[in-house]
Amino acid sequence: MSIRVRSLDEFERAPSSVTVGLPPAAHRVAPASAEEMTELMAAATDAGAVVVPWGGGTHQGLGNRVYPDVIASTAALDRIVAWEPEDLTVVVEAGVTVDDLESELAARSQTAAFLEVAPGATVGGVLSAGVSGYRRPRYGPTRDRILQATVASGDGRLVTAGGRVVKNVSGYDIQRTIFGAHGALGVVTSVCLKLWPRSSTSATVTVEDPDTAWGLLYRPLAVLQTEAGSFAYLEGPTAQVERDAERLGGDRRDGLVWPSLPSGEVTAALTVPPARVTDAVARVGAVGRYVAQHGVGRVDVAGGRGTDWAGLREWAQALGGRLTVTGAPDGFYDGFDPWGDDPPALGVQRRLVAAFDPTRTINRGRLPGGL
Amino acid sequence: MGLAEDLAAVVGSEHVLTDELERFLYSKDAGVIRGTVSVVVMPETTGQVAELVRVAERHGVPIVARGAGTGLAGGAVPIDAGVVVSTTRMNRIHSVDRANRSAWVGPGVINLDLSRHTAPLGLHFAPDPSSQQACTIGGNVANNSGGPHCLADGSTTDHVLGLEVVLAGGTVITVGGDAPDVPGVDLRTILVGSEGTLGIVTKVLVRLVPSPPDVRTLLCVFDSVAAAAATVSGVIAAGVVPAALEMMDQKMTVAVENWLHAGFPVDAAAILLAEVTGETAAVEAEAAVIRAVADECGATAVSTAADDAERAVLWKARKSAFGAVAQSAPNYYLHDTVVPRTRLVETMEEVYRIGERHGLVMMNVFHAGDGNLHPLMTFDASEPGALDRVHAASGELVALSVDNGGALSGEHGIGQEKRDLMPLMFSDVDLDAQARVKEALDPGGVFNPDKILPRGSRCYDFGRPIPEGTWI
Repeated sequence: MSIRVRSLDEFERAPSSVTVGLPPAAHRVAPASAEEMTELMAAATDAGAVVVPWGGGTHQGLGNRVYPDVIASTAALDRIVAWEPEDLTVVVEAGVTVDDLESELAARSQTAAFLEVAPGATVGGVLSAGVSGYRRPRYGPTRDRILQATVASGDGRLVTAGGRVVKNVSGYDIQRTIFGAHGALGVVTSVCLKLWPRSSTSATVTVEDPDTAWGLLYRPLAVLQTEAGSFAYLEGPTAQVERDAERLGGDRRDGLVWPSLPSGEVTAALTVPPARVTDAVARVGAVGRYVAQHGVGRVDVAGGRGTDWAGLREWAQALGGRLTVTGAPDGFYDGFDPWGDDPPALGVQRRLVAAFDPTRTINRGRLPGGL
Repeated sequence: MGLAEDLAAVVGSEHVLTDELERFLYSKDAGVIRGTVSVVVMPETTGQVAELVRVAERHGVPIVARGAGTGLAGGAVPIDAGVVVSTTRMNRIHSVDRANRSAWVGPGVINLDLSRHTAPLGLHFAPDPSSQQACTIGGNVANNSGGPHCLADGSTTDHVLGLEVVLAGGTVITVGGDAPDVPGVDLRTILVGSEGTLGIVTKVLVRLVPSPPDVRTLLCVFDSVAAAAATVSGVIAAGVVPAALEMMDQKMTVAVENWLHAGFPVDAAAILLAEVTGETAAVEAEAAVIRAVADECGATAVSTAADDAERAVLWKARKSAFGAVAQSAPNYYLHDTVVPRTRLVETMEEVYRIGERHGLVMMNVFHAGDGNLHPLMTFDASEPGALDRVHAASGELVALSVDNGGALSGEHGIGQEKRDLMPLMFSDVDLDAQARVKEALDPGGVFNPDKILPRGSRCYDFGRPIPEGTWI
């Protein structure tokens, strides 16, 4: 049996409503189904073309530059397929925006605990880019909530891994490995996510010393520090939120007031062991705007071209951390690797990726080590 | 030289077992599948494991890693005269980092020993399988183990920050670390739960979680399984995810009570053990919600453990349940499947019908909060045909769970036991993708062959030529 694959020219061009904001490419396609996305990957592989999957475009600044022949938009994969509030699970297509999903879930006081400040970002995009929300101290990284994933692999196979239940040990956890893999195992077409219920009472409290607040609270939603001050985020039974707010003693606002991620000419994520966040803040405070996540070990920083990024990176890497560029003008990357030193076990990563995308059709070279 | 001599040259002859009886002892785990073992070897260091892998490859024999042998799916049982690498001696807690809430440990460290070791620091390792007094961290990593408290805390994969692993060719890699968001392809996620088929874990960086300042443990009693299951759904719907939410049916309650006298009501159709942890005000509020939901669903009694001693008795009874069934029959077969928790009632009704059809006593104690069923069938293996009936019933149980939107296993793994049932859940293309993962990391098939994936998984024909430029 031989399957005829359409050539790239035979795919319908995405309408202008979809292509607004997309970079130029010979082919800009918005497949209408997971099957069509798969067929597009097969066609691209046959043509030797490079594909950049595109959701909201909000995290395309990550990693090595990729110059695509094909942009595969997930704009038409925009359905919430199945939401089971009593099972705390949702099946959602990749092109649904995080904001749309979260506002839908909020109607029944549930959350997927995605990044709280990601306007325009899509579910497929944040999963592929490995983005977690501020509420990680309580809910863990986004990766921990991926129960099932369906991907269109670089060589044109539609692969599903995992199951639609909150607990599952059935085969290799490919569904979690897609997290942060920038499509190397395939373009995400849909996922099943574990959800968390939300409490009606929440508060944002100003704190003097974030380390003290972190030590005082049992599993807060988050303790964040920005150049504007430090804040503890509380949510739970009313009596507990009241008591914690009282213990912290700072100014209290009802609800969760999240800082947006810092923006600037160059933005980067500094990651360190969680206990070193205060040291990291001491170093980035002079650089510009920042949001530091205490207890997590991540500081998002915005600065300029002239910032001593190399010095920051050297310091973080010595601690077992990293400095990853999340956005910068093109020329910035000359001589400054967006990821830093090559990750360990690069050869093993390469072999694993080859099992899904042997010609590196999707996001060729974007990953660390030029993978 | 022979295989045993070559292995002895690596670890010393006192750490190589070749005696027939010893090999027989290692040819089975806690389940019912028996395999054959050519030699058992007990390394102490990563370097030795790497060398052992090279020796096995040279001799063309498979390697099967084994922790405490508490697995139930035959994952640590060699099918065809393999070398068993026991991690028992790799049982050091290398370092504990209180500030970063993590610890580097050897794969042979016993789950409960780790939590006891870190308890004075106010930290513990969250996954707590019923076998936690015996099972090892390496085994937990291999099977992505759960336990009652993974309802709120998540399974082992959520608690592994880093791994040192020996791969094919004796290559040692270290992935992950204390800093979050490691860029690149996250190999940790593919290695955890891979049941020793991709390599041998030699060190684990585990995440430790703060021990809760307060706890409430409730015992809710029901006159029907349906009412207990409705309470499970109701609690979740009310916005409370308890630390644990465990159900026990009447047959199991009676067996446990006969043995441990925990105060379980033997006339109840089902009991729920619910635990909430956190600060005092939070646990009081959440316990009140559980009590209200249970009352609404028709609980005949709800009581709260008065102190740590009472709480410990309840948990001992829950975690010892599998031992208690010995009074019912000489053998048991413990199952592990998952269904969406909203399908619990109908699934349980069918579970009992399957037992009746095959003339088997079906006892249940399980993680109701996450829909993870553990039907347990007791039987006498010396009775002709008994095991056949058990196997027939098992197949139906798994098919039932998958038909109800569930999964083959929640925490025990696939191993040999459910390998050939994988097509119930996955298409040919899905299985082929998994087989490619195995092939990419273990091209020679040295690690735990013929586990997880049915034979022939890699043979799927896509009808398309291999594209130009493929890395082969």
